[in-house]
Amino acid sequence: MPINLLVRFSPAKPKAGEEVRIQIVAQHAMEPGTRRDASGKVIPADHITELNVLMDNQLIAQVKPGPGTSANPLFAFKMKASKAGQIKVTCKDLTGQTGEKTADLTLA
Amino acid sequence: MDRRTFLKASAGAVAGTMLANQLTSALAQTQAPAALEGQDLANLEKGLQQVLGKGFKDMTVSQQVKLVAPTIAESGANVPVEIEASLPADQVKAIHCFSDKNANPLLFTVILNGVLPYYATRVRVAETAPVRAIVETKDGKFLMASQSVRVTVGGCG
Repeated sequence: MPINLLVRFSPAKPKAGEEVRIQIVAQHAMEPGTRRDASGKVIPADHITELNVLMDNQLIAQVKPGPGTSANPLFAFKMKASKAGQIKVTCKDLTGQTGEKTADLTLA
Repeated sequence: MDRRTFLKASAGAVAGTMLANQLTSALAQTQAPAALEGQDLANLEKGLQQVLGKGFKDMTVSQQVKLVAPTIAESGANVPVEIEASLPADQVKAIHCFSDKNANPLLFTVILNGVLPYYATRVRVAETAPVRAIVETKDGKFLMASQSVRVTVGGCG
């Protein structure tokens, strides 16, 4: 199952030159590899290792979360909304699952 | 000693100790960051060397880095962390975040390339320990801000 990503802008339609917050939520259990299940077996690590944020196919930010990122994590960035464009978020986890989501940033 | 002289004397003594405290805390700030609750530099040092190739002594405590994290977290599994640097965006290369007592002290690394020096996320903290935000600048400086987070229920166990 691919990783589900949600992308949101706040404010949704920023004015040109205004600061916009890009909020990304990934639906992922983010197992750190240190937890045990009910029978005492260690749950194998499975967390997102890489998350890329691209604007018009140019990498603007890259996150490398370790096992110390919470389940269903939030990733929030701020940028100057200088022009409209397409934000693309891609990610992959330890087991090789990937996720991708695009969102259009439009100016007011 | 009557009451009035006693009050005067004690007020003086209190003012004296307060001044002394302020002096020592001012001294402590210039020399080394004050020890934080749950601090475990040996484990942190290991993580720092692994990720950055630098030790704790290479970190500069800076007011330019703002770290927002709760002082008490009910659950260590979901601790909101917000990091902001008051530096021009083009001077910041990356933001790293560490927690002293986690099995793997590195919480995350963010490489910035066009976004403002700001990042917010939620992290796991294994037990009461300082969370440290380290901002790596383009000219190779490491600016740090730390805050102790008290955890009642661990996030990694």
